[in-house]
This record gives sequence, structure tokens and C-alpha cells, in this order.
Amino acid sequence: MKKLASMLLALALVLSMVCCASAEGTIELALITDSGTIDDKSFNQGCYEGMQQYAEENGKEYNYYKPTEFTTDGYLAQIDIAVQNGAKMIICPGFMFAEALGQAQQIYPNVSFVIVDSAPTVEGVEQIDANVLSVMYAEEQSGFLAGYAAVKDGYTKLGFMGGMAVPAVIRFGKGFAQGAETAAAELGLTDIELMYHYTGSFDATPEAQTLAASWYEAGTEVIFACGGSVGNSVMSAAEAAGKAVIGVDGDQSGESETVITSAMKGVSASVYEAVTEFYDGTFEGGRQIICDAANGGVQLPMASSRFKTFSQEDYDALFAKVVSGEYAVNNSTDDMTPGDLGLTIVKTTVVE
Amino acid sequence: MDYVIEMLHITKVFPGIIANDDVTLQLRRGEIHALLGENGAGKSTLMSVLFGLYQAEAGTIKKDGKEVRIKDPNDANALGIGMVHQHFKLVHNFTVLENIILGVETTRHGFLKMDDARRKVIDLSERYGLKVDPDARISDITVGMQQRVEILKMLYRDNEVLIFDEPTAVLTPQEIDELIQIMKNLTKEGKSILFITHKLEEIKKAADRCSVLRKGKYIGTVDVATTSKEEMSEMMVGRKVNFAVEKTSARPGKPVLVVQNLTVRAKHGHKPLVDDVSFNVRRGEIVCVAGIDGNGQSELVYALTGLMPCESGKVFLGDREITHLSVRERNVSGLSHIPEDRHKYGLVLDYTLAENLVLKQYFTRRFAKRGFLKFDEIRRYADKLIRDYDIRSGQGAQTTARAMSGGNQQKAILAREIDLGNDLLIAVQPTRGLDVGAIEYIHKQLVAQRDRQKAVLLVSLELDEVLNVADRILVMFEGRIVAQLETQNATAQELGLYMAGSKKE
Amino acid sequence: MRKLLESKGLSSVAASLIAIVVGLLFGVAILAVTDASNAIPGLGIILAGGFTGGMKGLGQVLYFATPIIMTGLSVGFANKTGLFNIGAAGQFIVGAFAAVYVGVHWTFLPAGLHWPVAILMAALAGGLWGLVPGLFKALLNVNEVISSIMMNYIGMYGVNYLVKQTVYNQLKNESANVATTAVIPKMGLDNIFYNLRGESYHDVSSVNGGILIAIALAIVLYILLNKTTFGYELKACGYNRFASQYAGINEKRSIVLSMVIAGMLAGIGGALLYLAPASGKHIMVVDKLATEGFNGIPVALLGMNNPIGVIFAGIFISYITIGGNYLQTLQYMPEVIDIIIAAIIYFSAFSLLVRQFFAMRAQRRRVASETEGEKGEA
Repeated sequence: MKKLASMLLALALVLSMVCCASAEGTIELALITDSGTIDDKSFNQGCYEGMQQYAEENGKEYNYYKPTEFTTDGYLAQIDIAVQNGAKMIICPGFMFAEALGQAQQIYPNVSFVIVDSAPTVEGVEQIDANVLSVMYAEEQSGFLAGYAAVKDGYTKLGFMGGMAVPAVIRFGKGFAQGAETAAAELGLTDIELMYHYTGSFDATPEAQTLAASWYEAGTEVIFACGGSVGNSVMSAAEAAGKAVIGVDGDQSGESETVITSAMKGVSASVYEAVTEFYDGTFEGGRQIICDAANGGVQLPMASSRFKTFSQEDYDALFAKVVSGEYAVNNSTDDMTPGDLGLTIVKTTVVE
Repeated sequence: MDYVIEMLHITKVFPGIIANDDVTLQLRRGEIHALLGENGAGKSTLMSVLFGLYQAEAGTIKKDGKEVRIKDPNDANALGIGMVHQHFKLVHNFTVLENIILGVETTRHGFLKMDDARRKVIDLSERYGLKVDPDARISDITVGMQQRVEILKMLYRDNEVLIFDEPTAVLTPQEIDELIQIMKNLTKEGKSILFITHKLEEIKKAADRCSVLRKGKYIGTVDVATTSKEEMSEMMVGRKVNFAVEKTSARPGKPVLVVQNLTVRAKHGHKPLVDDVSFNVRRGEIVCVAGIDGNGQSELVYALTGLMPCESGKVFLGDREITHLSVRERNVSGLSHIPEDRHKYGLVLDYTLAENLVLKQYFTRRFAKRGFLKFDEIRRYADKLIRDYDIRSGQGAQTTARAMSGGNQQKAILAREIDLGNDLLIAVQPTRGLDVGAIEYIHKQLVAQRDRQKAVLLVSLELDEVLNVADRILVMFEGRIVAQLETQNATAQELGLYMAGSKKE
Repeated sequence: MRKLLESKGLSSVAASLIAIVVGLLFGVAILAVTDASNAIPGLGIILAGGFTGGMKGLGQVLYFATPIIMTGLSVGFANKTGLFNIGAAGQFIVGAFAAVYVGVHWTFLPAGLHWPVAILMAALAGGLWGLVPGLFKALLNVNEVISSIMMNYIGMYGVNYLVKQTVYNQLKNESANVATTAVIPKMGLDNIFYNLRGESYHDVSSVNGGILIAIALAIVLYILLNKTTFGYELKACGYNRFASQYAGINEKRSIVLSMVIAGMLAGIGGALLYLAPASGKHIMVVDKLATEGFNGIPVALLGMNNPIGVIFAGIFISYITIGGNYLQTLQYMPEVIDIIIAAIIYFSAFSLLVRQFFAMRAQRRRVASETEGEKGEA
């Protein structure tokens, strides 16, 4: 028995040596996913597409890695594997990585990181080392654009269905409410309804679809579906009810005929840009950039939007005012719902 | 000589055992040929080789003088060989006719052609005096009738060699006589019959010739008419056998087990399985419950031993009422029980012999301390029982019960139950499936118990056993006790009538 | 221990190893189908398993083995007593919740007592989840498989609800951090399982005292099953319930206790996982049954329901899983890797089952031929 065990051990050791040698890979571009997948219609997908686009244009090898468990230790372990496999540039999609990256930036000072939608934290305090670029978005502006356009287009009964109540989603929702308020005020409307709910996940669930259907049934005309695959649930409900949906993150007009527009944020564009800088030698870490209307980080895809009256001119005017700051959008996330914004026209009903 | 089947020098080996060692069997056309041997002698293996269930390692099979290869039962069937198995292979919710044609249905455009089949079945039934109703459901007819359906199945397939595997085990004496008559009718019509049994009485009545196997070896073939039962049994066992159980007359003392108006019903059943039964068993006597299988004997025992609840009535063990006590409480208040199915109830087959020998005592202070088993003590105790009761097994006390032979498994149970020293021993079919030596041994032990002034309640389906061992006989029919007889006044014929329900006291 | 290995043990170990080889061959086949050129290096990576990650990697193997050893013990223990506990997933998650709840809220407990109490409460919660199907089985003869599956869903949805009500971290849609005093101490394992990076940075594995607790419990279970009257009764019921009724063993009591103990083991498994790293492991509020619960089934099968065997089986499966994770470096898609690893694990367990089946048949045949004709079985 002992002999057998020692033989096995020896075999494993030999193999591990062979593998360790081969594991010193050459794949420089890496993406670690969070609990989502690379087709989650959210930041995993956005980041992956940005990385993929650059890699394929420039003939670089790239790979994505899924952790064994979605914990700080799990993310760290996977970053370690990516580094062993040759990664020089690692993309971390989302807030789940904050703590893991806080440690990884110190363990791997020679590896560059991009974290989207968040920033690394060390013992709860934000700390961005020289090898890390944190990319944030002015989601509130994106939401504002969508809310404003929707009301201007004649919708008065709105809905917001977010995924998890993470800061990015909260900013989208509250921006949406502010946009609606501004447009209503300009149109002289006195009453805009807004149903407001966080589903608690970025998954398509029957519960989300049922809730959306019940809102449509009760008169809601358009729902801003803001949470990865939650959109699929809302779109199914909208298709059944013949109502409208506003998409999020990317241009989702292709997903369903019911999508009138999408509150976009340029995740894949910023990843693409960061990777480009990395290979051009101009990558500059240790900072946080905020992608907003001014630098083209947020927008509505007017070419594919299905507005009734809201025109390109209307949009251009709106966009200019957001850029100039004439329309200043509150981006606080202290309160999860628009309750603290002091809106007068938009009546928010929060559904727990 | 005109042999319809010849099995020449057949050898069949299983891992670790030679089941058939150079066995030769020659079946003449139109004869009833008995195959005699103890359990484990290799009868069933030999028949399985003939029927295509096993392939022999050596030897040849000839049909009508031509060598044949039988790879599976379909080949056997094609050669006209049919078999009535010990356990019938019938679909219970089908009719007799449906069962008979099952597997050889004739169809037209995918629909069954029943008319021709029915005509043929009725025709066969009349020709051989089988008196079978083709439209009766199997679940509604008696075991004897079911056996005839099996016979009809073979005849329907035009088989000319018929194998009967222990056909009398499930029948009453009267039914056995009828079966033998049917077999004789069959041979008159040119069929040849192989008749597997270990009952000499039936061989004398039915067979023309008899081949004897012992421990896988062929001993010889004799003419039944000119050979005595004693000679045949000596061939079978290898020594002289004393069939009568030697015992003095009983000197019964005070009652140990008293049963008053006991009724037992299945959980959702309407008919009581045990119906208002009253009897007692006294110290120093063996009381035997006789009856055909399925007339409430099993349920009576379950109720007495606590495995099944009593609906009404009372059971006393000594002075204590045990009607509603748990199994454990009954065991410790003096009830030993050799169950009818040693694999299902009697043993934990995956436990070792030692563990099985303490199955009813492991919790006592002798074998356990503060919840931990005392393995040394268990081992010592097991070794003692193994010595005292001559239990044989491969690795002694450490043998897994599953790996032991049936006789030794039964000896182990017997040792365990007797060694408890309880006043009452309930033994249900304790000799079922055992060879002559083991049967003798167990009968002796039962008598010894009686002579030690214990009370013994024996349930048996074998009339020989009942008449040989019992001091007093109770006959059960459909849940009731229909007769109580002193053994010296009882005859097999009379018992048979009671058992079949055609006579009541 | 020596005696164990020499007797039945050795052949069982050999059988398990053969089963594993068969499973691996199957894995290679899938590797080859998805990407033939990398199949052989891929096999190497799978075999190298935790070693690829150095000492930390080995620590990770133990870390991931901990919960599945516990659920494996749970399933294996129930199997020994003739019950199929498919409810380990539910028992696991309610145990996890109880532990996390205690870990978050019962901060009044002194430091040294906090985590043991949390584990204890997890055992109680898991035991409760085993009790229900046990009672149903014993009193109403409801098949434990059906009732445990129901309990899985009740547990999963119930815990989702309770997490939201009591220990919710809305931001991440998961349970809140437990107090540091509720985290199971490393018990010195952090001094063994780490990789040195740079001069002095210890890249420490997640493994903690949980694995030691799991191993200790396995040994306790081994003793319970093999040395005590209680274990004798439980096994007797498992092997042959009729014979144990006949022997006067209270079969209903055995069934209930067996399910309760199985539930407790799975519940402790939940505690050991979710009380592991202070910052990382949280109960996620998702409508998904705990996979650790189901992974207990192959662990138990591979460990032949023997508590000691389960330890090794759990470590093996964890080892292979981690090996599979490293397959990502060969650009196998994570989904494909999941399939490969699951195939290896289940094929290993399955081939063992086949072996057992044949062994049983061979034995039956031997006995049948010895006592030939006895019951017409031959």
C-alpha cells in the first residue's frame, strides 16, 4: 500500500513538473469572469468583446478564466493562474473584484490590470496602485438620456427594473428618474408614474418576467430593464403585452422589437482603449477615469432606436446640454431609490 | 435403445466448485425418468445445461441420437425441450390462454389470432385430462391449476421432452396424485419426462427409472420397480439413512404458549389472514402447524413473534401477556424464533457469522459495554457456538454469512436461537431446502429441545416432517385451524383432506 | 488501520483506483473530442491537479475537499444504513445559514466559543432537515428520496428568504460578512500551505481547521459505525431491514436517527465552508441547489460509503476539480471543463458501482451453486 501511494505521489510530482513547465504560457491578454459568463449581456460580455476586438485586430492571444468559487480567494487564485499562463494585462469586470484586486495589484506589480465599474480596495479603503486602471461610468447620465428621451417621446407611465442594487445600477435608475422629471417639466406635464424595483440578481427569472407583465398589465408603458439578463425577462413580458423596453449597457435593439432605445455605456470601447494603450506603451495606471457624455462614454444609439417623435436633433440638443452641464445629474448612491432627489412630477412607487 | 435425450459426460464448473462432474443421463422415449439428489447435488445445474441456461465445459448432448448445441432456451425450445420451473413463470393478471400463447402469439395484421390458439388449448386440455379453463385469470386459480397451465405451455409449444423441476413442493397429497396421473397420461402419448425431486415416495409412484447424483457426481441409474427406497436413498446420501426420527413419547407439562382467539388482518385487507385461532403449546411437546403454503401460517407466526400486529385476541408466554409487546420484549421474555426465510429474516447476509450469532444478544451486558461492542467476547461466543453446533464456514467466525451454504446458515440460526435458552422455540420450515444430513441434524435438535422440557412450535409444509417430528398437529386452512390431531392418530391422507379444506373437524 | 488495509480495504482501494483510471480515460476522450492537440497535456494538467499550484494549491485541494467530505460522509452514512440521502444539498445550505446567522449576530459569544457554537447550530439545523424525511419514512413509509428532494427546495428558498431578512448584503446580493471570531481558525495550516512570493509575502491557501474537523468527524463516524451497538443496529437495518425487525431492533428509531445524523453532517459541511475565509465566502441569494450536496453522492460512492474512504474520495475529487480549473490555461472553455470533470467523477463512481454489481452477482452465483437448487436461483 505504501509502495502504491509513493508511486502515485512520484507520478503526480513528475507530471506536475512537466505541467508547470508547460503552464508558463504566453497568453498575455486575460479576462477573469465574475459569477456571470462572457455572454451575460453585461460587463463580462462588454469587457470580453473589447478585449477580443483588439486581440483579433492585432493577432494577440487572449483567454478568459472562470474562478472555481466567487470569493476573494477564488478570484485571487484565478488571477494567479492567468499570470502563470503568461498574462500581462488582466481585465476584471465589476465590483466583485474590488477586494481581490486590492491584493493582486500588490502581489503582481509587473502585471497591468483594468477594473471596470469599480476600484480596488485594501481593507475597505479604495487604493489604486500604479499598475491598475479603474474605469467608472457616469451611468446617471446614460439613464438621464434614456428617461428624458422616453418622456419626450410621449411615455408617461414608466418602470425601472434593476438587477442587484449595486452603485452602477442605482445610478442608472436615479438618472432615469431625473431625465424623466426634466423632460416632463419642459413639456409642462404634471404627472409621471415610475415603478421602481431591484430584482436582486442579473439573471432572467420567472419572477422578474411575472412582475414586468403585471406592471404592463397595470398600465406601465415602458420599462427600463437594467440588469444583464433581467432584460430578457422584461422583453418577453413586453412582447406578450405589446409594450416597450429600454435596454442597458450595450445596444440591445437587436434583442427584441420592443426595445425602443438603450442606455449605453461604452464598456467594450474603454476596454479596447485600455488594451490598445497597453500595447502602445501608453498605459497609465494609478488612476480612475470616468467615462461620461463629455468623452463619449455614455450615449443612446439613435440609429437603431425606435422612437416615435424623438429625433436626432432632439437628441443632439439633449446630449449637448448634458455635456455642458446644463443638465446636471445627481450621481449619489447613498439612497438606493429616487426618494432623495426631491422630484415633484415623477411619482416613484418602489416595489420591494 | 431409443434415447430421446442423451447428456454424456457433462462437466460444469463454477468458480470454486464443480457443479457437475462427468455426469451422464440418458432419457428413453416415453419414460418418466427421475433425477434424484440432495440439494446441492447438481440437479438444477444439469437441467439448466440441458435447457440452455448454462454452457457445459465438457460433454455432449444428443437429441434423437444426433449431437446438438443448446446455447439458450430458444434452442432448447426448438428441439422440443420444455421446462416447468419450481417457481412458475406466469403473468398473474393475464388469463390462462394469454399466458400460454405468450411469446408464440400468432397474429394477423398485428392483431392476435386467439381462436386457433383457444381451440388448440382446449383440445390439449381434454386430451391429457388437465381440466383447465382457458379464460380464467391466473390470480384466480389454485397453485395446482397454475402448474397445469405451465404444463399446457409446454404442450402448446409441441415439446416432447418435459422437465419438471420439483413439481410437488407446492401441492397437496391429492394434487400430487393427480399430477402423477397427468404425467403418466403424457408418456402414454409419447412424451418423455424428466422429473427432478428428492422425494423417494413420488419416485416410487411415478418414475420408470431413476438417475442419482451426489455432490455433482453421477452415481448411477436404477430401475425404480426393482429398487427399494432405502437403496435409492443410500445412493443419494452415500450412507444408510434413518428416516424415522427417533424419539420417545412426549411428556407434556404446563402450557408455555397460549393463544386465544387470535385474529390478524393485512393492513388494508378485508379477509382476516389468521381467523380466530386458539391453541396452546406445552412444555416438552412439539406442536406442528401443517397446511398448504399461504393459509395463514406465516402470518400466525408474525403475529406471535411481534412482526405483525394482532387485531384481536390474546397471546400469553408463560404467565405474561405478550399480545402487544415489541419484538425485542418478546425475545427477552423467552421467545426464540427460527424464521421461515433465513435470507430475509434470519440473517444479515452481509454481516459476519459472529455478528449474526449475537443478533439477539449484542445489546446485553455480556457483549456490549457503554455502547461499545466487545468484539473479543463476541468472537469467543461465536467460536463456542461454531464448535457446539458444528457450523462450517470458510473463515470461521469471520465468514460473511452470504458466503455460507444454506445448511450451515440454518445451523447458525438454530444455534443462535437454541442457545438463548428460551422456553419457547418457534421454528418455521426449518429444513426447507436442506440436504438429508442437515435435516436429520435439525430434527434431532428440535427433539432435544423438547426433551429439555422446552415448548416447540413447528410450522412445516412437508407432511413427512409433520408426521415424523410432531407430537400434536394443527392443520390450518384459510386462516383457521380446521383440525387438531395427536400424531399417532393421523395419516397423510387424512391430513391432506384437512389441508385442502375438504374435511373439517 | 493496518488491518483494515490488509483485509477488505486493499481490494476496495484497488477497485477505487481502477474506477478512477476508467474515469480518467473517459475524460481524455472528451478532451480529445473538444481539442485533440491539447488532450495529452490536458490530461497531464488534470493529473497534476493541486500540485500545479504548489503548496498553496495543495491547501486549496483540502479547502475544496472539506465541504464535499462532509456531504460525502452524510450520503455515505445514510447509505450504510440503507437510506439514500439526496437531501444533503438542503441540509448543507440550512446548516450554512445557521452558521452564518450565528456568525453575524451572536457576537456576544466569547471569541473561542463563537465559531464552535456556529458549527453546532449548523449541525442542529442540518439535523432538523434530516429529521423531517426520517420521520416521514419511519412513520408513514414515504420514500426518503422524494421527501429529501422537497426539503432541498424548501431549504434553498427558505435560506434565500432568511438571508434577505436577516444577514443580507444588498450590494452583492449575498450574506453579510461573519464576525472574525466566527471564522474557523487556520489551526496552523497557514504555516504549511502557502507559496512564498518575493522576499516574504506568504500567498496563503484558503484551507483552515475545517478540514481537520471533517477528518476528525470521519474517524468518529468510523468508530460509531464499526465499534458500537448503535452502529451495529444502523448497519443491520441498512443491510436487511427485515432481519433487524426480526432481531428486535427498533427500525423506525434507526431510520430517524440515521437521517438526523446524515443531516447534521451535511449541515456541518455548510458551516465549515461558509465560516472559512472571513472576507470571501458568502451565501449567494440565487435559486440554485447547493452543488456540494450532490457532489456528496459520487464522493460517497467512490469512498465506498466508508468514512475513511470518503476522506480520500473527497480529496481526490477536489484534486481533480482543481486540475480541471488549470485546464483553462489550455483555452478549454470553462463549460467544457465542467463537463470533463463531472464525467471523470461520475464515471469513476459509476464504474465502481458496476464493479460492485458484478462482485455481488459473482458471489450470489457462487452461493447459489453451492446451495444449488435451494431456491431455484441458479
